[in-house]
Amino acid sequence: MRTNSFRPNAKASGRAFLFLGEDAFELVVKVILSIVFLSQFSLASDPVPAAKQKKPVALVGGTIHTVSGETISNGTILFDKGKIVTFGQTVNIPADAERVDITGKHVYPGLIDSYSNMGLTEIGSVRGTIDGQERGTINPNTRAEVAVDAESEMYPVARSSGILIAGSTPSGGLISGTSAALMMDGWTWEDMTLKAPLGLFINWPGMVYVQGGFGGFGGGGQMTKENWLKRRDEQLKSLRDAFAEARAYATAKKVESQRGVPYHQTDSRWEAMIPVIEGKVPVFVNANEVAQIQAAVTWAEQEAVKLVIVGGRDAWQVSNQLKAKDIPVIVQPILFVGPPRRYDGYDAIYSLPNKLREAGVRFCISGDGDASNSRNVPHHAATAAAFGLPKDDALKAVTLYAAQILGIADRVGSLETGKDATLIITNGDPLELSTTVEQAYIQGKKIDMRDKHKRLYQKYQEKYKQLSEK
Amino acid sequence: MQRCLTVLLLLALCLVVAFAQTAPVDAMRENTPKVFALTNARIVVAPGNVIAKGTLVVRNGTIQAVGANVQSPADARVFDLTGYTLYAGLIELSSDIGAPKPPPQSGPQQQADTLKGSAHWNRKIRAELDIAQEFSPDDKAAEKLRSQGFTLALSTPQRGIFRGYSALVQLGDGTASELIAKRNVAQNVTFEVTGGFFGGYPNSLMGVVAMIRQTWMDADWYRKAWDSYNKNPNQSRPETNNSLAALQDALQRRQTVMFQADDERALLRAAKIGKEFSLNLIIRGSGNEYKRLDAVKATKLPVVVPLNFPEAPDVDTPEEAVNATLETLRHWDAAPENAGRLEKAGVSIALTSATLKDAGTFLAQVRKAIERGLSTDAALAALTTTPAKWIGVEKNYGTLEAGKVANIVVTDGDLFAEKTKIREVWVDGKQYEVKPPPATDARGTWELMAFVDGQNQTATLKVAGEAEKPSGSVEWNGKSLKLNSPTFSAGRLAFTLATDSVGLKGSTQMSGSVSASEMYGIGNLPDGSAFSWSATRKEPAKAESDTSKPKEIHMASFADVYPPGAYGRTKQPDQPANVLFKNATVWTQGPQGKLEGTDVLVTRGKITRIGKNLQAPSDAVIVDATGKHMTPGMIDAHSHTAADGSVNEGAQNVTIETSIEDVIDSDDIWIYRQLAGGTTAANILHGSANPIGGRNATVKWRWGALPDEYLLAGAPPGVKFALGENVKGSNFNPPGGQQTPYPATRMGVEQIIRDKFKAARDYQQAWKDWERDKSNIPPRKDIELDAVSEILSGKRLVHCHSYRQDEILMMIRIADDFGFRIGTFQHVLEGYKVADAIAKHGAGASSFSDWWAYKIEAWEAIPGNGPLMAAQGVVVSYNSDNSQLATRLNWEAAKAIPFGVSEEEALKFVTINPAKQLGIADKVGSLEVGKDADIAVWNGNPLSTYTKCVQTWVDGRRYFDIDEDKQMRETVQHERAALIQKVLASKGSAPASAASRRPAMSSRPNDNHFHTCDESAEIHMEGYYNEN
Repeated sequence: MRTNSFRPNAKASGRAFLFLGEDAFELVVKVILSIVFLSQFSLASDPVPAAKQKKPVALVGGTIHTVSGETISNGTILFDKGKIVTFGQTVNIPADAERVDITGKHVYPGLIDSYSNMGLTEIGSVRGTIDGQERGTINPNTRAEVAVDAESEMYPVARSSGILIAGSTPSGGLISGTSAALMMDGWTWEDMTLKAPLGLFINWPGMVYVQGGFGGFGGGGQMTKENWLKRRDEQLKSLRDAFAEARAYATAKKVESQRGVPYHQTDSRWEAMIPVIEGKVPVFVNANEVAQIQAAVTWAEQEAVKLVIVGGRDAWQVSNQLKAKDIPVIVQPILFVGPPRRYDGYDAIYSLPNKLREAGVRFCISGDGDASNSRNVPHHAATAAAFGLPKDDALKAVTLYAAQILGIADRVGSLETGKDATLIITNGDPLELSTTVEQAYIQGKKIDMRDKHKRLYQKYQEKYKQLSEK
Repeated sequence: MQRCLTVLLLLALCLVVAFAQTAPVDAMRENTPKVFALTNARIVVAPGNVIAKGTLVVRNGTIQAVGANVQSPADARVFDLTGYTLYAGLIELSSDIGAPKPPPQSGPQQQADTLKGSAHWNRKIRAELDIAQEFSPDDKAAEKLRSQGFTLALSTPQRGIFRGYSALVQLGDGTASELIAKRNVAQNVTFEVTGGFFGGYPNSLMGVVAMIRQTWMDADWYRKAWDSYNKNPNQSRPETNNSLAALQDALQRRQTVMFQADDERALLRAAKIGKEFSLNLIIRGSGNEYKRLDAVKATKLPVVVPLNFPEAPDVDTPEEAVNATLETLRHWDAAPENAGRLEKAGVSIALTSATLKDAGTFLAQVRKAIERGLSTDAALAALTTTPAKWIGVEKNYGTLEAGKVANIVVTDGDLFAEKTKIREVWVDGKQYEVKPPPATDARGTWELMAFVDGQNQTATLKVAGEAEKPSGSVEWNGKSLKLNSPTFSAGRLAFTLATDSVGLKGSTQMSGSVSASEMYGIGNLPDGSAFSWSATRKEPAKAESDTSKPKEIHMASFADVYPPGAYGRTKQPDQPANVLFKNATVWTQGPQGKLEGTDVLVTRGKITRIGKNLQAPSDAVIVDATGKHMTPGMIDAHSHTAADGSVNEGAQNVTIETSIEDVIDSDDIWIYRQLAGGTTAANILHGSANPIGGRNATVKWRWGALPDEYLLAGAPPGVKFALGENVKGSNFNPPGGQQTPYPATRMGVEQIIRDKFKAARDYQQAWKDWERDKSNIPPRKDIELDAVSEILSGKRLVHCHSYRQDEILMMIRIADDFGFRIGTFQHVLEGYKVADAIAKHGAGASSFSDWWAYKIEAWEAIPGNGPLMAAQGVVVSYNSDNSQLATRLNWEAAKAIPFGVSEEEALKFVTINPAKQLGIADKVGSLEVGKDADIAVWNGNPLSTYTKCVQTWVDGRRYFDIDEDKQMRETVQHERAALIQKVLASKGSAPASAASRRPAMSSRPNDNHFHTCDESAEIHMEGYYNEN
């Protein structure tokens, strides 16, 4: 809930209330709110996508958290044409640069929600706003980015919490389609797309029957074991077949110009999979239980495809294999799920990222998959930190590690010369819920920090101001 | 025995001869004498009363005499039963024999089948159904039960909540009139939930409980109403209702009520209802009673105990084993001891074959129960004298005393010994074979003579093995030829011999008729030529020595814990006389504010002092809290944790008669997990399916306690109301293209609520009118309108699920008009738009910190909602509506801080503010002298995301401690490993025994299923969220 950039003194004001009674507190809040309202009225309207960076910008005098390197106190970061030029305690600032005093503030790379339905779902109960899940089970050719609604209210809210990049991911079926890295600003989905495709999404079938369990994660639902295993094997076959057929298609298309080889009619599904089977685009496999993860790793090796595990609830139990094969895990989510089994420790999920770190498995942490909750991504990471993960790693889990696993670390994820100037200015640790994100830049563009929630907040402040005036 | 068998054929031909029948005989009369003397038998007259050798005389279906010196009457057929034992026929108290089978759980058939005539309006109330009018003899089922020694069974109707009367039936053959020994034995009640979301009221466990209560009340009213009307017909005639009429005897304790309780919590629930209405109860149990043995004992109720011990969990592979919960493993390990433990605790028990997949495995299960601690006398009593007494037929059944019905079991040994076989069963003085020994026995050594190829050949035939599954060989010309495919059936032995080794290439077939000392037979040589043969006995069969190893008995490995399974404790945590927390940062959340370096003294569960450098009483438990923060235990003002069954009774618009208090699931693992996150109390709410939902339960998380012990004493009662999309059915489609029921608009929602308040006023008026002249028909006591009346009189808090500002305002106006104050608006996501009105009305607001966009009415939800409302003077709390979220309410509170809310004020959102909203702020919610010692201890600032809870205390008892938790995990690991080893060993050594018909009731799957506001039997939310 770091949405309060329009009221920079809020935290300090809050502290003052410690010495006040409840009634006094209300009074002070009222007063402050009305002051805030007067000074910020112009913000109560729709945020506008930002223009391209026109001149160099230097953020001067803050703490620069590069994430990839050291943290520079009382530092300056300079960016131009959307890219980071340099940073340090002493930086030559060009004469034409816009200087922004950020004394007492902090600069971090923009946070990344590595797995969500960002742009593909607006209102969960309204089918007309849901575009994340196509019919059928084998949809390798569906592409997330083309259905991304540039007008979604989700992006301004997410970036108010520091989320500037989202891995927007189709869902459902066995092969859901390809995901895209979105920047949280732009006039069109093309403006917003940082990279696509990121990966081909696969939902690994549950491998172990559990009587009376639910259908998903290893659950047997109401099916008999025999029927359940039959269905599982059909799904596994369907997955293997898709890759075999895509390979056959790729081969046929490759040789069709050769003498004696006829022309082959096109198949969009298999066409879309050629970069995957050539190893250019990784597969992201949703897998949680041990048997799922191990099956996916073995399969990926047989298919010679690059693999990322998503979910990974039991991943720590197979960390030797994941480490040996260098398979990274998007741990997802930390909050809103319980320990996998009744007898597991209450912190089984909270402590998972640290177990992976200790075992040397690459990982990052995403939100719960829902764009409206993207803003809680830092919360997920911080919870892992409360349960053993070093704070630095928790921050990396939503910045650099996420960028590396998504394959966009050449552009974002840390503050390094030559990378995109996609960063946030905060009044504190972005993983603390009490911290406010005051300003964001995406590829050097100064982001309009208004959002739907601030707009409504201010609108109703106006109501109470009117009432208090009598 | 042989004569006995001969007689049997004759008996089998004649129908049970009329002892006292009305049906005319329209053919030749049959008057075969029915006088029998069973002599030289060991007679177990009753448990503990054994005649080593005696005679029992049966005359016309009744035991005429029994004793060691009883003479066989001159007119009796005499059966020499040397070597056999007689027992009284066993009694099955929970059977579906001859009862109409229940229809499918849902579908048109269920809709169609209703009772005729003046039936109850609710088709699940079928108290008038008399099984004596429905019973159809079922020879196959009777034979199956006889095979286990049962001679008498209580045939019980199989559908509905109130199911009707059971009847005692003899397990012989005959017409229903002949078999039914006693009608109207017991009224049958169950908690069965049927029909799914659209299957009619009630469709939830708590709805069923409410329906049961209301029905007993209605039965009481029905009698009073008719009494009044009969005295003074000058008033409106009451309705006629077969079910309510049928319940009068039970209500007056003139009839037993058999209550089916499918887990141990259901048993306690049934006991409570039984007590409320002074019913004469028998519990049809579940096999889980041992899990709450003391509580079960304290009910003093008799329990009919099923023996459906769970199958061994699947642990063959590591990935399967990982899914076996400790609770499942422990139940598998301990369930066979249930009956024995009940016996030792002094609970009166009967045993039943009900719920076994195959009733034919019943005795094997009894034997297992005996191996695991049930005494044989108790087992016999539980199958004979005890059930007979419970149902008031002890004068006629249950022992082999003179004058009783001749229901007899004849065994070849101790009934409960492993290898004992039941040879025959007598029902009403008629003999039924179960497993007769063969009339002749081929086993032994024989000299065989065959006339083959014109020559007499001599050989030796040796037959061994079991009488009906023989084995053996023919010794001929120095060769031993094995008997291939030997059979012995109907007195004839048959086998083939591979005769290649004796010069006859191929198989030689032989068979012959066997008498005591001779065989005469025929055979075919491999070339097809026939021959004849005979044999004379040289030696009788030798008893084979029993080479099987004595069975190893493994008792349950671990002591019971509460709740059963992981993180249970053998007893509740101690409440020390004094606990002194030293040197903490104390967030009192009261007038004292936040105190650094402060001590807190707790005495017998209450906070007695807060200050610096307090002196510790000598007996005090000292908690060094240096560097730690202490806060009040957090309070969740909107929870669905720990509810048994659905949290929605969705089949009516008004379900205030239901109560979460009736369905608290004391074993929900989320209780412990929430304690581990510093949450100590919760408002468990009904879902949001209807405008006026069910009653709440305000609880403290006393992990391990019994369901009723969770209730927070003195908390004002409450009820869930709901507005908007859920109650108007916006987001689901009924099956089969049905329309969603009324209301379909927010307009209708308002009218439903208003109308019910008017109804409550009318109801109150009706009672006032009646008070003036009590000879009139009294108003029908209505649980629903009583509770609505409590709202009107300010005694019951309304917790109103709401989203949009219009509906919030609408609800405030209803409350204003009817003169009560709303307790809380729940969710209240647009509360910030009408915060002034909420504040003026004085309702609390219990909201989410930041959920939005999951449906249209959540589209304008903002995270500034709580702070904006608080700024207008509304008492604001942040709730969970989700079991996982409730483990970290401190972090939810922290989300208010960026809006200018101070840390302490933010923490109030999850401590004193919800306490105020729930009317329990005098007890909990802040750390103040005199309040309950419900405390969370943190390793840092509780509002930091990097902080975790290290201890949680409720009533001065430490329910969570992060170090103890580590030990408990080790215990869990150790116990699971040991039990998995035990399962593997058991699978290696013995085949799985009788499987239960369904998985043991209280074995919880590993799911992370949360109760949701919207859930019903058919609608499950996708995704993680509980509020939709």
